[in-house]
Amino acid sequence: MEDIFGILLDINLTTRKTENIYISKRDIELFVGGRGLAMKVLYDRIKPGLDPFSEDNPLIFMSGTFSGLPIPSSSRTCVVTKSPLTSPKKSIFEKASTVSYSNIGGFFGPEIKFAGYEGIVITGKSPFPVYIKIEDNEVKIKDAGDFWGMKTDEFDNAFKKELGDNNFQTCYIGPAGEKKVAYASILHTAGRAAGRGGVGAVMGSKNLKAIAVKGTGMPNVKNPKEFNNLANKARAYFKGREATKYWREEGTAGALKSSSDKGSMAVKNYREGTFEQIENYDAKASREKIWKRDYACYQCQLSCKKSGVVVEGRFKGTIVHDSPEYETGTMVGSNLMLTEINDVMKAIYDGDDYGIDIISLGNTIGFLIEAKEKELIDINFLDGIDLKWNDIDSILSMIKKIADRDGIGDLASKGVKVLSEKIGKGSEKFAIHVKGQSLAAWNVHVNPGTGISYTTSNRGACHLNGGDVDRQNANALKDSLAICFFATGWGGFDTNQLIEFVNAITGSSWDENSFKKAGERIFNLEKMINIREGFTAEDDVLPERFYTEALSSGPKKGAILNRDEFAEKLLEYYKSRDWDISSSKPSEKKLKELSLDFLI
Amino acid sequence: MQQENNFSESRRDFIKNLFIGGGVTLALGNLSFTFFDSEKGIEKKVIICDFSKCTGCRTCETSCVAYNFATQDGFETYGIVNPKNANIRVNKFNPDLDIPATCAGCPDTPCINACPINVDRKTGEKALYLNKLTGAISVNVEECIGCGKCAKACETERVGVIRQNQESGKPEGLCTYCDGDPSCVKNCPYGALSYVKVDTNYEFFGKSPEQIAGILTERYYK
Ligand code: SF4
Repeated sequence: MEDIFGILLDINLTTRKTENIYISKRDIELFVGGRGLAMKVLYDRIKPGLDPFSEDNPLIFMSGTFSGLPIPSSSRTCVVTKSPLTSPKKSIFEKASTVSYSNIGGFFGPEIKFAGYEGIVITGKSPFPVYIKIEDNEVKIKDAGDFWGMKTDEFDNAFKKELGDNNFQTCYIGPAGEKKVAYASILHTAGRAAGRGGVGAVMGSKNLKAIAVKGTGMPNVKNPKEFNNLANKARAYFKGREATKYWREEGTAGALKSSSDKGSMAVKNYREGTFEQIENYDAKASREKIWKRDYACYQCQLSCKKSGVVVEGRFKGTIVHDSPEYETGTMVGSNLMLTEINDVMKAIYDGDDYGIDIISLGNTIGFLIEAKEKELIDINFLDGIDLKWNDIDSILSMIKKIADRDGIGDLASKGVKVLSEKIGKGSEKFAIHVKGQSLAAWNVHVNPGTGISYTTSNRGACHLNGGDVDRQNANALKDSLAICFFATGWGGFDTNQLIEFVNAITGSSWDENSFKKAGERIFNLEKMINIREGFTAEDDVLPERFYTEALSSGPKKGAILNRDEFAEKLLEYYKSRDWDISSSKPSEKKLKELSLDFLI
Repeated sequence: MQQENNFSESRRDFIKNLFIGGGVTLALGNLSFTFFDSEKGIEKKVIICDFSKCTGCRTCETSCVAYNFATQDGFETYGIVNPKNANIRVNKFNPDLDIPATCAGCPDTPCINACPINVDRKTGEKALYLNKLTGAISVNVEECIGCGKCAKACETERVGVIRQNQESGKPEGLCTYCDGDPSCVKNCPYGALSYVKVDTNYEFFGKSPEQIAGILTERYYK
């Protein structure tokens, strides 16, 4: 039998044709899987300046090298497309935007593998709402008319009923995705979201409500015996570790308190870095008041996810699928100055239920509250909503407006960059985004590394990008292997363990250098797609706020980002990447060195 | 035990290990617990789950398949398996609950009662029968006609663990107890599973995952 290096399931919703595409050996060798391989598909398929809502923009669900295998925490699925949210300062293309990648944990990627694929590539647009049902090599495109408009929590159960079989793994959008809110998310198991960069809006633009997949197969492994030894060791490895205990007990919510203490939290639209009332809904309070159980992704020993319910007050009975996480708890919590735990739970629930990225949502609403407070806009501009800090009613009304793209919600649904351009009057100084993508829940004043992560990320402001070149390359590769960051940082796998797995699975003979190179290659490929769209170093800029307004409260009072020092840091970054300092384009030498000659 | 965290120690390896070295007594000691002998009053053991500890990671499923299907089509699987083939299945619900389900070891065996094929008139043995050595409900694959009555009985009366093979219709998904040392129990990273005597008074005895989810939803999420 000839070696097969993986199959992509290609589905065109316009022609309703499906096709198996064999991935070339070279593409697997160079781009690995997950985020890397999906980026190569994206590069091959899109013309520069392509409208993200065009039929030709592929929406890619990619599993990774480790997916479907019993490696702890190897559950991630990477969703890749051209972003409908981001944009450069200037470009010859009207619809220029960055690449978009967004990861989800859970069970979807492994199931793609069981069905016999590396990934699913969806192009075209259905004339009416549909869902896709995949059972091994049987692919059906079915009417989703009954479900259009349904919020995600209800849909999660309704769809299971429709499928009549709980063994399907599903991904779906809510009303926000259907309406193409530029930062709409894609959900999985009601409590997991591929939130960032508007992947849900692209799904909505295709009239695609959901995808269900189920498979009977198993992933291929070149050296199964060696793999098995490694997997056995890896499972024992996490037992009893400090980090394992921490994730199980606190999840990412553990960072709420510690980040606030360090002054690195997004508070009051990033004006401050510490939130006095954070103890009202940090991990300890959530454990006491909300959380009922911890849950985990496929083969994961960390169970960082926490579900529960609001037990008192006017939001009593609100289901908590997984909150607060650090990001969600901060972005609609401290960033909007909410002080009550139940209010925060409700805001997160509604955002997820509509299918909106909670990070961008909290950021956008924070911007609007500040603009109103500064009297740059008034209550009429907000369609009568008296939007205020720590005011759950007005915040919930605005969430609904955005999800429905109703009135001011339409403008706000395009993100904080578009919003500030429309409002003007200097509001761009506190529009907290890079390239149109909202910053996440980490403030920059006290932490220039986070600033590097945000400014140089290929998907616009991204907290998971990494604060230096090495970390960025490693993270790009981890997203390609489908391994969770939480299992590879503190207390988790080291690089060597990951390399051993790669070699056992693929039969290659990677060393540390190949590992680094692969990540660097993927990162540079993304960069080159962005360069093609017209992005330059001018787009790698932080909002003015961090340079001009020092933190006015908390233990880090007075902290401010030094403009010259940060510029110097960024310059060093470009140099160590071998990128041109004004165009930010990788040098020819670098591209050749990375076997990316085809990009020259 | 030295096999801890070892997914794919196969059934054959296990038996082999019984006869080499100092493991014998211990292993045999373990095995003896699973002997099912109603006359002598030795009770059968089954796997139960502490649902407050289960996180839904599905490690139990993969470790089950790794052990019970250590070879497929003549090849060793080395733990590289599809979790949906497991004899323990983690059922997921929204609001978030994970309910692993296995054979409940019902003393009144509705599955066997429903089987229409009598294999031995003297002993009353049917195509679906209780293996007295392992305590597992087992299928006589030669005699079974794949009618699915056992699966139906289990589904309507108890947990609903029996699946019919897609081609032959013959029952699958029955717990083997892994020769007395269940792989799922020893590999669960959260210590949620245990191997205990059948207790028909146990709150969740014989209940379907849906019924259990109903009870726990009330308990956790109201
Ligand atoms: S291995 Fe344990 S925690 Fe994981 S699903 Fe099974 S019973 Fe639950």
